[in-house]
Amino acid sequence: MSRRKRTRTIRSAAQSLTITENAMAETNIKYGLIAEFDTTADTLHAAAMVRDAGYRRWDVFTPFPVHGMDEAMGLPRSKVGWFTFFAGLTGFTLGMLMIWWMNAYDYPIVVGGKPLFSPIFSFPVAYECTILLGAFGSLFGMLFLNRLPKLYNPLFRSVRFARVTHDKFFIVVEATDPRFSDIDTRKLLERAGSKHIEEVRD
Amino acid sequence: MALHDTSVTEKLVVGPKWRKLPLGLLIGGAIIGLIGAFVNTRQFAHSYLLAFMFFLSICLGGMFLVMIHHLFDAAWSVPVRRVAEHIACLLPIMAALFVPIAILAPGYIYEWMRRDPHLDHALHAKHPLFTMGGFYIIAVVLFVIWSWLAWSLRKWSLEQDKTGAAVCTFKMRKYSAGGIYLFALTLTLGAIMWMKALEHQWFSTMYGVYYYAASVWTTLATFYLLVAFLKRTGSLSGVVHTRQMHDIGVLLFAFTVFYAYIAFSQYFLIWNAAIPEETFWYVKREQGSWWQICMLLVFGHFALPFLLLLRIDAKLSLPLMVPLCIWAWLMHFIDMSFNIIPLVSPNDFQLHILDIGCMAFFAGVLSLVFIKYFNSHPPYPIKDPRLGEALGVHHAGARAPIAASE
Repeated sequence: MSRRKRTRTIRSAAQSLTITENAMAETNIKYGLIAEFDTTADTLHAAAMVRDAGYRRWDVFTPFPVHGMDEAMGLPRSKVGWFTFFAGLTGFTLGMLMIWWMNAYDYPIVVGGKPLFSPIFSFPVAYECTILLGAFGSLFGMLFLNRLPKLYNPLFRSVRFARVTHDKFFIVVEATDPRFSDIDTRKLLERAGSKHIEEVRD
Repeated sequence: MALHDTSVTEKLVVGPKWRKLPLGLLIGGAIIGLIGAFVNTRQFAHSYLLAFMFFLSICLGGMFLVMIHHLFDAAWSVPVRRVAEHIACLLPIMAALFVPIAILAPGYIYEWMRRDPHLDHALHAKHPLFTMGGFYIIAVVLFVIWSWLAWSLRKWSLEQDKTGAAVCTFKMRKYSAGGIYLFALTLTLGAIMWMKALEHQWFSTMYGVYYYAASVWTTLATFYLLVAFLKRTGSLSGVVHTRQMHDIGVLLFAFTVFYAYIAFSQYFLIWNAAIPEETFWYVKREQGSWWQICMLLVFGHFALPFLLLLRIDAKLSLPLMVPLCIWAWLMHFIDMSFNIIPLVSPNDFQLHILDIGCMAFFAGVLSLVFIKYFNSHPPYPIKDPRLGEALGVHHAGARAPIAASE
């Protein structure tokens, strides 16, 4: 390796070191502990243990939906249904109003000897509007409740976490949880059967 | 299954207060019916037809539940399947109970039987079906098919209780696969020949599926009550869990919407086309207090159960579900009445003492037979290969059960 080239390598290494140091300085907030698991059964069991230990700010990440996880995590029932219901109700009302407005008020035309407005012929369209807005209510209600879209998550800093979309299961206990403690939480996750636990900093 | 041996003999225990109820209903209903048959034959014939169509709904619905269980290769419904199998096996009893209708049909029930097809185009157009021969041949064929299917499905299920062989499951699956087509055709024929034929001039291509939707809805309400009762009295307490109750509730909810969809579609198409040959049926049913019955069907048969069943936890709440299922019986009775009774009481809705008598008689006979069936066989398919899965032991390597800590 020529001398000039070596100098450049050293310089770039030094540069990257400085960047890392700067990054470390900026991201010194502890985000939480992340524990890795290999199977659904282990993860379900560990989730139940974390639930029973009384943690509040924690989550489970899996490559696919796991049956029974809601109970294992002790999650309350989803509130998405309320968004669906009221959005559907709005859709039904708007659908009926729309047809009344167009056929009986704004531009009244008699068609086939039928009344200008009747809930009978309006029903299929109002019903479709119910479904459309109900679906919107479900989708956007879900996004709203999950605070999505979310472009950044401190967990992206963990290299091993990338495998959550492939074949690994993770339980994350956030440092903001009132029960969180470096030692006890780590011990709990170890007892729950995790073979790899690491701290994530943001 | 090592968990369950063949010596399971949980009997259906009925409290001493209620033990005499089925026999009481049978005798009371029979007395009222017999008197009515001679005093007011025309009313009796229609009341009897009303009760017959009401209970036929439940029996056919039971057979449908068994068939879809096999067609979907379902696991959750294994512990409750035997109840549906017994309900379906009430169909041969229904064949015997059809005899009074067969006797009274020409004289007192179906007007078309007394008409000359050469002078009535609507009748002439339906000629091969709407003849005396056609009516009786169809009745025999329908009951033979139903009895054969119901009996075969239960026979292989009981065979599996002894052997535990998978071949029984395959047999039942084959009966269900062919049977579902026969079921659709025969149920439609039954609904047309026995109920729609009261006004033979009428057309509605949705009538079969209308009766089917109402039937399965009522059956699910009955099924929910029976399973909840058997779970409480102990026969099914070991195998029926939240999952089963929830899923029956979900099906009931689905059929609440499906019935409304079909009933509305039938009305909507006829309303929109506005052809006198079709509209007369509904015009008749908007006279007097029948109009209120129409509204009761819209709001009581659909809107109320729909709103009550919306929440997930509602399907598990017995204080809500038990009254709701009984309400479903009432609504189905009103629905059948809406179809049949305007023929004898065109101006106003009526609840005749003979309606109640015939309903009591059918309820008595069928519940007696059901209890006899239930007590002479294992309460659930004890060796079904899918039973373990239904009981939630299929998670390979699962450790302790994960119950939410209350």
